[in-house]
Amino acid sequence: MKDKTFVIILAVIMVVGIATTTALLIHGYNLWKEISIVEMIANWGY
Amino acid sequence: MDKKKLGKQIAVIALLIVLFAGLDLAIYQLFIKRVISHHTPGMQKMSVEVADYVPFTGSANVHSAEGAERLEGDLPTIDGAAALLPVYAGFVESIYPEDSVIYNGTDYDSASAMHYTNTRGCFKDIVDGNADIIICAQPSDEQLKYAADNGVELEMVPIGTDAFVFIVNANNPVNDITVDQIKGIYSGQITNWSELGGENIPIAAMHRNEGSGSQTALEKLMGDMPIVPDYTAIIGSPIGFSFRYYVTGMLEEGGVKMLKVNGVEPNIENISNGTYPIGGQFYAIYRKGETNENVYKAIDFMCSPEGQKIVEESGYVPIY
Repeated sequence: MKDKTFVIILAVIMVVGIATTTALLIHGYNLWKEISIVEMIANWGY
Repeated sequence: MDKKKLGKQIAVIALLIVLFAGLDLAIYQLFIKRVISHHTPGMQKMSVEVADYVPFTGSANVHSAEGAERLEGDLPTIDGAAALLPVYAGFVESIYPEDSVIYNGTDYDSASAMHYTNTRGCFKDIVDGNADIIICAQPSDEQLKYAADNGVELEMVPIGTDAFVFIVNANNPVNDITVDQIKGIYSGQITNWSELGGENIPIAAMHRNEGSGSQTALEKLMGDMPIVPDYTAIIGSPIGFSFRYYVTGMLEEGGVKMLKVNGVEPNIENISNGTYPIGGQFYAIYRKGETNENVYKAIDFMCSPEGQKIVEESGYVPIY
């Protein structure tokens, strides 16, 4: 694999990975704002 | 092409993918999964949806007194906590004129005599003069300081009570807790369920927002003991707190359970007879020196047998 190709692949993985993680965190934060503490404990498990 | 170099490149790519996948999986398991609301019928039954508690809409959720004398003239603006919306919606439907409530489908109009801004918002509003009566649990020290800083003294008239309850996941084998153990957990001295007769699992002590009714109730319960947040217990099993009325819908589904406190179950009978040790009174609060006679008429109604019946029918425990 050429160095340029490798760097492009790395960059794509980084961008997709960071975007996915950020979207997941934003989604979770929005859900967290809405959920009651009672339901969160029910979901949490033991 | 150097095979060794290619192997290293593939390994780096694979490692990166695995790292991101692991991170996202951990976020999902430890965070997202816990905050997905399932909105099951039992939850919906007890959760407070503003639109379900608009007075004069014929909603079965609003319990009002028929034939009560309606206020005339300068109507006090009434507001309150989310958990108590059923109560003051019933008061408004009983004694306010119908055209005094203006709901636009998502919120109350600023000209409406009834507002809904939740505990933190309504305390600010009564101090700032944007509300005349608020229905809430007791204010936090910070809220009282805000009133004092603005030269406002508040009068608090108790109109009902509920239990301040501690809840755990239904699979947690611990059923009973003492007030001292609660203080130990929230001060960081008790950190593992095994110290309460449970398994060797860390305790995740959950908190509410500063200024919310239940967080203030916890602060009052703790007294001089500082509340120590535990950020390391995310892998443990949680304990949280709320008011009984909010929790009862969930109990039907078995997802959570309320703990007995000092061996006493938080049910209506034990709240009424005072044996449950952490009752949570709620109040009609108004500014001291209020000159609007209708404020006193409204509060007299709340303390009357008709008003207290509304408290009871809304799911709380009357005190008069």
